Amino acid sequence: MRFSSIKYFIKEGFKNVWVNGMMSLASILVMICCLILTGGAVLLSINISNTLKSIEEQNTITVYLKQEVTSSEAENIGNKIKNIPNVLSCNFYPKEEAVKEYKEMLGALFEVLQEDENPLPDAFHVTMEDLSQYENTVSDINRIDGIEAVSDRSDTAERLTDLNRLVANAGIWVIISLGAVSLFIISNTIKVTMYSRRFEISIMKSVGATNWFIRIPFIIEGMTIGLISAVLSTIILKFAYDELMVVINNIVPFKGIPFDNLIWYVAGGFSIVGILFGLVGGLISISRYLKKEGGDVVAW
Amino acid sequence: MIEFKNVSKVYDNNTVALKDFNLSISSGEFVFVVGASGAGKSTFLKLIMCEETPTSGIIIVNGQDLSSIRKKDIPYLRRTMGIVFQDFRIIDKMTVFENVAFAMHIIGASDREIRKRVPYVLGLVGLENKARRLPSELSGGEKQRVGLARALVNNPSMIIADEPTGNIDSSMSFEIVELLGEINKCGTTIVMVTHDLSIVKHFHFRTVEIGEGRVKNDTGLIRGDQK
Repeated sequence: MRFSSIKYFIKEGFKNVWVNGMMSLASILVMICCLILTGGAVLLSINISNTLKSIEEQNTITVYLKQEVTSSEAENIGNKIKNIPNVLSCNFYPKEEAVKEYKEMLGALFEVLQEDENPLPDAFHVTMEDLSQYENTVSDINRIDGIEAVSDRSDTAERLTDLNRLVANAGIWVIISLGAVSLFIISNTIKVTMYSRRFEISIMKSVGATNWFIRIPFIIEGMTIGLISAVLSTIILKFAYDELMVVINNIVPFKGIPFDNLIWYVAGGFSIVGILFGLVGGLISISRYLKKEGGDVVAW
Repeated sequence: MIEFKNVSKVYDNNTVALKDFNLSISSGEFVFVVGASGAGKSTFLKLIMCEETPTSGIIIVNGQDLSSIRKKDIPYLRRTMGIVFQDFRIIDKMTVFENVAFAMHIIGASDREIRKRVPYVLGLVGLENKARRLPSELSGGEKQRVGLARALVNNPSMIIADEPTGNIDSSMSFEIVELLGEINKCGTTIVMVTHDLSIVKHFHFRTVEIGEGRVKNDTGLIRGDQK
């Protein structure tokens, strides 16, 4: 391919976005709506699962040691717990600290107990990576020598796991449905655009343009529209997201993921999807007109 | 240059457009093709331009047998001919210059060649001062000149004109045919389909009359002199 042709394709592709103003604007608006809807659903799902994860992390179980366990044995037990695959963190919680906390909590009531007869055992605070593995991890811990008991929170763990699964499943379906709707709307917009330009395509064919010569500027045009939509969608979504966070925070204390942490993923994802839709949409819809000849393309 | 040997064309709805059609047009000729509506004129042109394939028979255009032409070679065959349409078929969003330059871009001409050749061809058709105009700012005759300039710009060996005067007034029509005559004098073969018998009578070129899918009449004149 000659350099002059490449230059021509790029110039035509960009120029066509401008020349076909209204159709380009319609395509950009449709694509922005689709990207924002789908992107918004992805962000919502990420935020919910992030919140659930942080709740999971706060969901600590307490592993009580037997009274007779010495401090070096306790250290050993701590290491064994840490080596269990699903354990995220394991912090020693000495009985002295437990007493202090109980004293603070119960006040005078606790004074009846003498300090040298501390009834509380040493313990570990353990968090898990995946709460759905709760039962297995607890039985692994129970198998270690020197452990008296493990606080049972299987109910909470189960509920959190179920909720997490529900959010993940619902999120995927919402995103798939929105993606399918977007694809349908975008492909229809491209079809309308192509229909309005079938005349142009037919002229190109009649003066001896090869199919690729006709296709390339359309593809560049589609990709440019996709890219413009991606940039605008990222900007709009940023403002909408930030505003929404402020509103939500006024109602409930909620620590969402700051948009700035996600901006490059959002922009990158939007650009890839936008360009891909422009490319594939352009290729598919133009092929219908490329198969036809002169009078069949349009009733002259 | 153009050879039809026992060509028949039957459309899917069983309409017989051409039946054992035989015609030979040599290089450098100017031929009028006339006939009533539905006689087969459009099919004749569509077959030359490879928009249709014959049901039977042999068609040879510029040395290429169209019955065996590969699909990907069709654009290259079309580049050897300039085509002028009754409805001009120029792109509304492009200026006069761009409409003509477009045909050169297709063959991969450089910007320098385009800048040199397009004004020259626009000069030939008398549109040198309207290069920057959009088609909506032109009269019917001027639009057809743009179509003619586009057909000419790649120096084709033949020009196929499908009722080029059908949508313009009669004085403009004569000018367009005169212009085609001038181009023909430089050696370009011209095949012009027309309904306008006054033009056929005025210019003494070979005239082929098509009727019921066959050549009904052929004056067989190689070249005629203008009145």
